[in-house]
Amino acid sequence: MADNYQVLEELDGSFGVVYKAIEKSTGELVAIKHIDLEGSGDDLAEIQQEISVLSTCKSPYVTQYKASFVKGVKLWIVMEYLGGGSCLDLLKPGSFSEAHIAIICRELLLGLDYLHHTGKIHRDIKAANTLLSQDGRVKIADFGVAAQLTNIKSQRMTFVGTPFWMAPEVIQENGYDFKADIWSLGITAMEMANGAPPNAETHPMKVLFLIPKAPAPRLEGSKWSKDFKDFIASCLIKDPDRRATAKELLRHRFIQRAGRTETLRELILRKEQFDTSEDEHETHRRYYEETMQNISPREDQDEWVFDTLKPSTVKMPVNKHTTKRRKLARIPSGGNDISEALLERLNINETPLGTLSASPAVRKVRKVSTASRRSSFATAIRQPSGSTPTARRVSDNRRASGQKQPLGLDMSFGNSPSTVRQFRRVSGEKEHGQPGPLSRSNSVIHVGDGNTPIHEDAGVQDENAPLMPVDAHPPPATKEALLGRRAFSKIIDPALQETYAQTGSQTKREALSKVANAWSALDRVDPEGEYLLLKMMLERVSGDARLATALGIQFTHQSPVKNTPAPAVREVSSIPPSTPSRRDSGAPDTPTKTKLVLAQNNPHLKSHHRRRQSAFVGGAVDRDLAAAAHYAGFDEKKLPGHVQPGMEHAGLLADVLYGRWMEGLKSRWPLS
Amino acid sequence: MAFNIFNRNRQKSNPELAKSLKEVLQRYISEEKANPKTEEELSRSLTQMKTVLQGTTELEVSPDQQHGLISALLQEDVLLYLAKSIHRLPFESRKDTQVIMSSAFRFKPPNSPDLDPIAINWVVKRRPEIITALCYGYDRKESAMPCGGVLREALKHEVVAAIVLYDEPNPDGKPLDLANINLDAPVSGNGVFWNFFDWIDKGAFEVSADAFNTFRELLTKHKGLVARYLQANFDSFFAKYNKTLVQSESYVTKRQSIKLLGEILLDRSNYNIMTKYVDIGEHLKIIMRLLKDDRKMINYEGFHVFKKVFVANPNKSMEVQKILIGNRDKLLKFLPAFLQDRQDDDQFMDEKSFLIRQIELLPPAPMLTQQPVARNY
Repeated sequence: MADNYQVLEELDGSFGVVYKAIEKSTGELVAIKHIDLEGSGDDLAEIQQEISVLSTCKSPYVTQYKASFVKGVKLWIVMEYLGGGSCLDLLKPGSFSEAHIAIICRELLLGLDYLHHTGKIHRDIKAANTLLSQDGRVKIADFGVAAQLTNIKSQRMTFVGTPFWMAPEVIQENGYDFKADIWSLGITAMEMANGAPPNAETHPMKVLFLIPKAPAPRLEGSKWSKDFKDFIASCLIKDPDRRATAKELLRHRFIQRAGRTETLRELILRKEQFDTSEDEHETHRRYYEETMQNISPREDQDEWVFDTLKPSTVKMPVNKHTTKRRKLARIPSGGNDISEALLERLNINETPLGTLSASPAVRKVRKVSTASRRSSFATAIRQPSGSTPTARRVSDNRRASGQKQPLGLDMSFGNSPSTVRQFRRVSGEKEHGQPGPLSRSNSVIHVGDGNTPIHEDAGVQDENAPLMPVDAHPPPATKEALLGRRAFSKIIDPALQETYAQTGSQTKREALSKVANAWSALDRVDPEGEYLLLKMMLERVSGDARLATALGIQFTHQSPVKNTPAPAVREVSSIPPSTPSRRDSGAPDTPTKTKLVLAQNNPHLKSHHRRRQSAFVGGAVDRDLAAAAHYAGFDEKKLPGHVQPGMEHAGLLADVLYGRWMEGLKSRWPLS
Repeated sequence: MAFNIFNRNRQKSNPELAKSLKEVLQRYISEEKANPKTEEELSRSLTQMKTVLQGTTELEVSPDQQHGLISALLQEDVLLYLAKSIHRLPFESRKDTQVIMSSAFRFKPPNSPDLDPIAINWVVKRRPEIITALCYGYDRKESAMPCGGVLREALKHEVVAAIVLYDEPNPDGKPLDLANINLDAPVSGNGVFWNFFDWIDKGAFEVSADAFNTFRELLTKHKGLVARYLQANFDSFFAKYNKTLVQSESYVTKRQSIKLLGEILLDRSNYNIMTKYVDIGEHLKIIMRLLKDDRKMINYEGFHVFKKVFVANPNKSMEVQKILIGNRDKLLKFLPAFLQDRQDDDQFMDEKSFLIRQIELLPPAPMLTQQPVARNY
């Protein structure tokens, strides 16, 4: 199947990695989306769902699905090629005129009418998912979160979409139907008029709060006609029952007056001119390269011994010295891969099976194969153009967004895959045991999307002294140390970055980055102490009634609390109390020697029991335990030291959101 | 005559609707070249039925209307025609057909909500071949997904699952006698069920994915029935399963089927199947090779089968103990580094350490400590 396509350059897709290609049998241009199935977490069912929705769509207003097949571990989805780009791209030179918007809205409504009529909800309508063909035809794209209803009247409960565009009933989760797409359409129309959706400057988490509470947004300004304003108002009615259907809106005066799609070519032209003028930045085309997957990565002379087996039936282990049979994968070049490569070396040294006797060529191959896999985590990050033309980032955006924790929502709306998808089981998002400075340098780019990269000095430090501290210290051995590392990479670091991004004043920023530096030093040197410090802080906060309430943590007198994340609360009293603030500076004198015994109420212990029983015990108890265990784990994010003024609602919201994700989780994995 | 007053073209009665659909369907299929007029008429007819059964966003359905239409469809025996010819229908009509058939298999008359849907009863008593015809929809890309959708709706009923599992080739055209199936006798292996393996392994991505969904549904939904079936057909089923699916060339097939294998073996109702499965050394070898596959998710899925069924299982056969003990040192060297990047997956990390502990605790030589499990071949 794959031979039928001549793959050309990478497209600037808002979803996953998309290549332009020529279908050899017809000579037609197509777009091919590559999904790395190895990287796509636990279930292929979601991807299959997308395909099945796609393949049952045939409408001039919906991007046409052509075929899909698996090649190696990659799924190729062949779609019609749309040369005009997405509306989000076309918005870059400036917002659209009312006449253009009317045409796009009409075409979108025609597409939505088709989808709704055939029992589908798109659930992620936005400018980024509205594609234009070269001649101005408008098509709905990206069915990553679309749902097919078995019964046309039934409602969905799942929580998906992109915050800014989400309808109130989707956020509130009391069931929603086709009307949710109409709301998103209204927001999209405003996005095209104003260049950004309403509340774009607000934090996405806050937006989730805002949409159900605040009155529906309205289009303001004298430059817009009454019809347009009324159209928006009909889309943005908070009560879905009173909101118009696609069919009704097609009869709206604003839509009736809309012109022909050819007019939209003006937008495409405008974008082309804009690109030429911007061309100093020089768009670097990235071409498709075949990733060689047929490398045997484990250089492991230890084949299992099944003595009863006849030698002929055993798959002969590949001789570790023959390298000629392996195809050499291309080695990514360019600055930002240095750290990865270094890390790789580290990994190999750590792996007992990463035999040192293997020939250099073999090691190189191995390095690359893992490096390219890791780099898929960075897909969400927009690579500054011009760098690493050879490193192929092949992955799928669901991965990137899936790995994002609720608080780590992307601040940029639009082109980056900020679509919220259901929570998935935490899997190997860190490919290495030490989420030290390196993982941070990744996320720095991520938050800095479009802004100045933050933690500049930290970043420099990373490059200059890569891995030295990590190398010097043995990997964290104790559970506490691991937890400390985890707390840093999952909570402290993201929290600091987020706060940083929200801080305006330069002096405040500097102060904050000092804290960040100090903390990362502590993390490098003494993760165990880091963990104890956190625990202590949390303990103290939950002991202070006023602080606890303010931060949304349950107040407690020394007694273990359901929400308390740290294990072994009781044991804590045995640790000599000390002032947490002084430890902040990263002093390595924290009581690393103190070993903690797991207490009975330790959530980890609980979940451990649960897992052991789960094969035989079914039903609600099990689930509750699971929920409790997850809950406890999640609450770590609310560590008091990092809840910033003005973000108090986040804890509460996170709870609400988490509950929803858990619901989704339960329905998808009823029992392990 | 009422002819003009009621504008019969728009408002056909249910029996008329069913009759005319059957007529136009026969005409459409008999035509060599697609006649746009017939096609148009056919699509209209199907869309109309769909509306009666499902309503639209604006139009509510009436249960009486639904009941009437479904009875008429059964009366005219249209469902079998639809199932057999779905691949020839135009694009949207295939989806309409799926809706019509699914609604039929779901519909219960409003006054008797506890009974099986009337269409299911009818299939069981009169037309089990509708179900097999739906299965054979997987032979073609065009019909795979609509047939699969209908099939999964019907498979909610145990008796439908039995039709698929116990189907046998019938050259003389005699339908399966459901009342007299011996559920504990092995099947010939030539019935429609056994085609699923190839549909999954060899089909195009969409076909394979859909066939797998149905296959999983079939093997996990009606536990009692499946346990008896697997017990009776243990050797042939797992031989085929391991060979075609677990060791498939296709990444997707392989990964999904390992996962499903774990699900099947870990189901409490399949306890006997599980003990029988893990007694066989050959099975352990297959799973252990999965741990060394060069694709991480294959390792991961393989791990779940390995841990629960081979290591944590207290009653290990001599054969299995021998393999585990013979590889103890290798396993203890291999496992600590196994899927090391899953540091954040607490459950996995815990299970891995548990597993390592279990392997350390293995006796120095195989022995019959436990009561050997009764092996009733």
